[in-house]
Amino acid sequence: MAKDSRIERARERARAAKTAIGALTVLVFGVAFVGAKVHAPGHAKGKAKPLGAPQSFERAVHRSIAQGGQIAPAVQPPPVATQTS
Amino acid sequence: MSAVAVHRFRAMGCDVAVAGGDPAAMAAVLVRWEDAFSLFRPGSELSRVNRSSAHMLAVSPLFARALAIAIDVAAETEGLVDPTLRGRWSEICVAGRMLRRPPGLALDLNGVVKALAVDEAVAVLDGPGFVSVGGDLAVRGGVDVALPAGDAVRVVTGGLATSGTASRGAHLVEPETGLPSDSCWSQVTASGASCLAADVAAKTGFLLEEQGPEWLDARGLAGRFIGVDGRIVENDTWARSTHEVPACT
Repeated sequence: MAKDSRIERARERARAAKTAIGALTVLVFGVAFVGAKVHAPGHAKGKAKPLGAPQSFERAVHRSIAQGGQIAPAVQPPPVATQTS
Repeated sequence: MSAVAVHRFRAMGCDVAVAGGDPAAMAAVLVRWEDAFSLFRPGSELSRVNRSSAHMLAVSPLFARALAIAIDVAAETEGLVDPTLRGRWSEICVAGRMLRRPPGLALDLNGVVKALAVDEAVAVLDGPGFVSVGGDLAVRGGVDVALPAGDAVRVVTGGLATSGTASRGAHLVEPETGLPSDSCWSQVTASGASCLAADVAAKTGFLLEEQGPEWLDARGLAGRFIGVDGRIVENDTWARSTHEVPACT
């Protein structure tokens, strides 16, 4: 009886050890998988974005597009006219 | 600017007037732009790009520069002045000399090309003068300019441009509908730091209809609007600049 009890306890320990090793394996695999997705180069992390100039540069260009000129009352007969073409 | 000889010729499908520089040098600039961007010439670079079914292609530095500016203009005007005329300007990407766009998406750079050509031509001037292509002009040294429906204004620096339906009919397109605009204005004249800035301001003011004067004022751009009923509206920036302020006594 005592012998059966010892074998039974050994089996119990072996079962617990297998469960622990399995759980640890799943955990390590999951962490590695997520880590690779997030950090490893070559893994697509989102839609590709085109290279572009810095936003500050783009803002400066936009400002010059919408920058006012200087006009004043006319002082002599105009040599040229503005019109639709 | 004292009276200088004005040379007149045709280029880019428009009447051109230049003063204060070598007319041949300025004509050469305009011809170069027309050769690259005319939609009426099958051999122009723009026509070849539009015929191409490639997703990505290499373009000339001039083409890349003009298209990049056209995209900036579309962003600044929230798509009102759009190089695709279909509200799809954000699908175009220019990086260096590489152009990426959805295959079959045609480009029309008429919204910026004439003004850019004028700005480049006026840079050729070595003294006071002006370049006017179809009534869109840039100056160096101050020039008096006649306005539509009478009156005149002195352009001290930068450019002056007029957009509307008076000459070519309803050719300005509403990007939301893709149809010609039926704006409440027949002509809009605007002043800008360059001919490009003036032209973009005039087109945007035209397409924004009643909100046009306010949009230009918010950016410090002077605009003069002629309604389809003939009324003339000057925005605050224009009125402040062009009406004499009585001297203090």
